[in-house]
Amino acid sequence: MKSFWIVLKYELKEYFASKGFVAFTLLLALGGIILLSLPRFIDMSEFTGVGGKEETEESKTEEEKDEWDKLYLLDEAGVTDLEVLRQFFPETEWIVAENIDALKQAVEEKEAEAGFVVKSADAYDYYVYNKGMYDKNSVMFDEAMKVFYRIAYCAENNLDYAEITGMLETPITVNEQILGKDTESNYWYCYMLVILVFMLIMLYGQMIAVSITNEKSNRAIEVLVTSTSPNSLLFGKVIAGAISGLVQSGIILGSILIAYQFNRAQWGGILDMIFHIPVQVLVTFAFFGLGGYLFYAFLYGAVGALVSKMEDISKSSGGLMTVIMVVYFFSLIQLANIDGPIIKVLSFLPISSYSTMFARIAMGSVSVAEIVISFLILVASIIGVGILGAKLYRMGTLRYGNPIKLSTALKSIRKSE
Amino acid sequence: MKLEVKEIYKSFEEKEVLHGVSFEVESGRALGLLGRNGAGKTTTIRILMDVFHANKGEILLDGKPFNRGKSSIGYLPEERGLYPKRIVTEQMIYLANLRGLNTADAKKNTEKWLKRLEVEEYAKRKLETLSKGNQQKVQLAATLVCDPDIVILDEPFSGLDPVNSQILKDVVNELIEDKKIVIFSSHQMSYVEEFCDNIAVINKGNVVLDGNLKEIKKDYGKNRLILSAENYDLSALSGKVSKEFGGFVSVTGKKKEFLILELAGNTTKKEFVQALSSSDIDIERFGRYEPSLNDIFVSKVGDEDGEEENGENDKKYA
Repeated sequence: MKSFWIVLKYELKEYFASKGFVAFTLLLALGGIILLSLPRFIDMSEFTGVGGKEETEESKTEEEKDEWDKLYLLDEAGVTDLEVLRQFFPETEWIVAENIDALKQAVEEKEAEAGFVVKSADAYDYYVYNKGMYDKNSVMFDEAMKVFYRIAYCAENNLDYAEITGMLETPITVNEQILGKDTESNYWYCYMLVILVFMLIMLYGQMIAVSITNEKSNRAIEVLVTSTSPNSLLFGKVIAGAISGLVQSGIILGSILIAYQFNRAQWGGILDMIFHIPVQVLVTFAFFGLGGYLFYAFLYGAVGALVSKMEDISKSSGGLMTVIMVVYFFSLIQLANIDGPIIKVLSFLPISSYSTMFARIAMGSVSVAEIVISFLILVASIIGVGILGAKLYRMGTLRYGNPIKLSTALKSIRKSE
Repeated sequence: MKLEVKEIYKSFEEKEVLHGVSFEVESGRALGLLGRNGAGKTTTIRILMDVFHANKGEILLDGKPFNRGKSSIGYLPEERGLYPKRIVTEQMIYLANLRGLNTADAKKNTEKWLKRLEVEEYAKRKLETLSKGNQQKVQLAATLVCDPDIVILDEPFSGLDPVNSQILKDVVNELIEDKKIVIFSSHQMSYVEEFCDNIAVINKGNVVLDGNLKEIKKDYGKNRLILSAENYDLSALSGKVSKEFGGFVSVTGKKKEFLILELAGNTTKKEFVQALSSSDIDIERFGRYEPSLNDIFVSKVGDEDGEEENGENDKKYA
């Protein structure tokens, strides 16, 4: 046990003394703090909807108006009203065309974004040069035409258009009382946390494997395994990698969450769906995320012990990466069906419970017993892969040359036992 | 202290590479562990260091099962390696800590051994910035940093220039004087002869020769003589001796400056000298033949066809 602490301390010191590690951590943490503090220093009211000057059409400068989209109108039926159209198309300049040729020419020469030729109260032609994926002009114009039609109908039949509209569109007050969980509001931070733990596993898992292979490639391994037990070496190295990853992500994530809390009012709460994470979810994430991270860290440690050249790491870790990627995509897809059978199964498997169980806790219905069972399975699996990893490490210690296949390694372990 | 390796067998997959290796070594003595490439020396050392487990056999320290974890051992592997990108002192203290020293003692010993091996000026430098010879000396300092009772040196002189070799020779002699158990594996026979009281020669996983070096030399020199003449070159002398003194001696070898002769049957040295004195041979050198360790080594393991690799040992475990 003493050797384990010595290895852990030495490896941690190496991580924390690394200029790259410190610079990367500070850069991301400070970057996050600065970005989230921007509304305090610059006017972001257009984005956040908080503060800033009230602007009216009239208050906008001619320069700003020059940047507006231009739409051409030729009203052959005489049913349209430019004021109404401006309400449907804000920040758009309407130009009345003299004839259809002028309208077509303006569209073809891209002076106008589009043009409308109104044939009657219920028919119009839409002219556009290249129709974009998100072109909503005709949809909006449809709505405007319906209004013109109703106004005309009311006028013809001596009806009060304002009264009818008020009756048809009476506002309804909704007082929502969510007794369970609000999937919609919890979705985005769950999504972000799944991505975060996935990135941690991929990035730090690879670093752990590299650190172990490095000792084989520079031949320090023989001195090390003859100085202490391979178990102490593997556990010390893997847990040091895990701790440094947690410290780094903890500092970055912590800085971002705290910075958002300080600036939440300035943001008008629009980023709550990402950064306003309930403590209960964070705690669950810490347990399951850390567990999943350790589970894969030991597997990466074993992968590192099975190869002796850096360039072979990616080859040997291919299978492991495939599992991680498949779990990642399944987890993200299944967030939309949080109480479905697939995510329930995934939340008990140690390869996937790290992301699916906390998502179920945050968004779905899950009993305490299920959480405890899933966590116990995860802990048992971590211990299992830790022991297996240490055996693979010992077996692969002085084997050089081509990467050792996992099946060969397992056979060797069985034989030596 | 007495370290005994008894009847060690080791197989890698289906191939047995050690077939009952045995030897022993005591405090204040050095054992030369010799053998051709792939003979099984490194595998034997790795079993001693608990890197591999023996399939059969035992290792005893003072008659009790040897526990590597409880003994203070300094091991310099043939494949050198420390952390190239880390500071010399830091990694030496780390290794000393792993071998049971507290940090204060580890620091003290690190300074002591770096100074003794004349590399103290590199203490704060990264290992990769040192020359190969100085890296080798740092590695040796790391081996000795825990002041071990048992020192195992696998090819310690490779890569050292004559000045550094002399420093290392002095250190090895000091270790022997300090009553350490020293196991010394090398292909450089002159060093083995210089330090080792006992040798064990391993060939294809078997100990083919072991014991006290002086006794072995004496035994090999028994009934063997050297002869050279002022008035005959060695080829002519060899022909004359074979022709005229065939009943007394046979020519068994030729060195640069003398012939090696072996007394035939019950012939005594005195009888041969009397016969020789009555001939026209003007004796330049005559005396008892003292074989070098190299001669003994070659005669024991050099008659095999080529080098046989020691199973997986040298293929995968190099």
